[in-house]
Amino acid sequence: MVAQQIINAVSLGGVYALLALGLAIVFSIVGLINFAHGELMTLSGYALLASLVLGFPFPVAVLVAVSCGALAAVAMERIAFRPMRGASVTSLLLTSFAVSSLLKVVFQNGISARPQAVAMPGWMTGAFSFGDFTIGVGPSISIVVSALALIALEVFLRRSVTGTAMRAAAEDFDVVRLMGIPASRIIATAFLLSGLLAGLAAMLWVAQRASVDPLMGFTPVLKAFIAAVVGGLGSLPGAVAGGFLLGIIEVLLQATLPPAIAPYRDAIVLSGVIAVLLLRPQGLIPAVRVQRS
Amino acid sequence: MLSVEALKIRYGEVEAVRRVDLTVDSGEIIALVGANGAGKSSTLGAVAGLVPAASGKVVFDGADITGLAPEAIARKGVALVPEGRRIFASLTVADNLRLGGAVHQPAAEAKLREEEMLELFPILRRYHRVKGGNLSGGEQQMLAIARALMGKPRMILLDEPSLGLAPQLIDTVFDLIAELRRNGLTILLVEQNVALALEIADRAVVLANGEVVLSGTAKELASSDLVRQAYLGA
Repeated sequence: MVAQQIINAVSLGGVYALLALGLAIVFSIVGLINFAHGELMTLSGYALLASLVLGFPFPVAVLVAVSCGALAAVAMERIAFRPMRGASVTSLLLTSFAVSSLLKVVFQNGISARPQAVAMPGWMTGAFSFGDFTIGVGPSISIVVSALALIALEVFLRRSVTGTAMRAAAEDFDVVRLMGIPASRIIATAFLLSGLLAGLAAMLWVAQRASVDPLMGFTPVLKAFIAAVVGGLGSLPGAVAGGFLLGIIEVLLQATLPPAIAPYRDAIVLSGVIAVLLLRPQGLIPAVRVQRS
Repeated sequence: MLSVEALKIRYGEVEAVRRVDLTVDSGEIIALVGANGAGKSSTLGAVAGLVPAASGKVVFDGADITGLAPEAIARKGVALVPEGRRIFASLTVADNLRLGGAVHQPAAEAKLREEEMLELFPILRRYHRVKGGNLSGGEQQMLAIARALMGKPRMILLDEPSLGLAPQLIDTVFDLIAELRRNGLTILLVEQNVALALEIADRAVVLANGEVVLSGTAKELASSDLVRQAYLGA
């Protein structure tokens, strides 16, 4: 029972971490909090549904769905955010709200406002048994996928030139451009990665629920946003730490709160967030950013 | 090699540069001197593409580069070493250098270039794996110059390389600048320390309130009354 809860906590935390990381990557580079991040997740969910309906084998469907998330993020930047480059933070924020609302309406009117069932393979809902322990296959896969994604991202950011340039751009974008590295390449890669992470998170989210609806992305991305702020907005290690922390606390409270107090779970979590921000306004692991007049 | 014609720069309502004309010939060091706020850094920023010109023209190697993106200008062979060094503090010395040469040459050549830089700046070899933010001011200045040189620029724009450095370090940096010129690099140097700048430069341009008030060979300027009274404290 305890082992199962730990697995659930880490698995939920992993999903939050992937989403928070996507928000943080984009924020660290373009200073935009992308409220349409949730819609990338929803879009990937629908892409999975469509691929399965079209009869693609499950692994191919997942590949298609995640790619759709990544491409949609790049398209979003190209169509909506690039024309706004250099605009104020408020204008960028409003743009992302507009994109988010637009996509939600498209999902509602173009597909359906009601949840659509996604036929996940049967083995996903199975469980391993070790003596007395039973561990769900779904949450275990979720943990493995999150861990692999985090490692792959770390390797990319450390080893590749573009990844190194992205870390540098989070610190001082202008100087990266002075090195001859095109701003568009850095920004497009940031969105590509955020879309990729949103797509992966969507797969893990859908795997647990076996359905997609137009508002699917809202709650997890709201949580991811909280995680990113708690971790230190724009800080990648902070986003991961915040994501896991939030997931673990949520599951912990879920498991331990007496039924009378259980409905206040989110209120308790958010009070904790406020407490963290009072004590550490820059977040748990603040972002490095050069301050300049 | 570079000519700036009737450059004007505005930040909102403020005219930071009213009119600057200057030319830099191949292999020269031109010093751009003047008091704080005279428009020196803005002028360099406009040449490098970081600051938009309100009017006027920047021509490099016969091509109009006014209004090009900074990355496009960098690829043409103009490198800016910005004021305050602006090295990437959270990246290692090695990564700072790597980014400097990333787009200008194939990876194997960049590796060779890095080796040349480590020969030129032995201190950077010693701190190769250290984060840029942990270097001292002088070491950071060396790194900023080496990072700009990684892309094998034909012209380098140096913005206040002496700022915040101890006197003996300033000498080291200026010896280095002289050596770079001997190797054929063209240099546009912005410097508040006018005496130092006139010592090393071939020609100099004096800015005040966003306008050129005087220009000539470094020797002429060093003996001009205006420069002596206003900047050399004589």
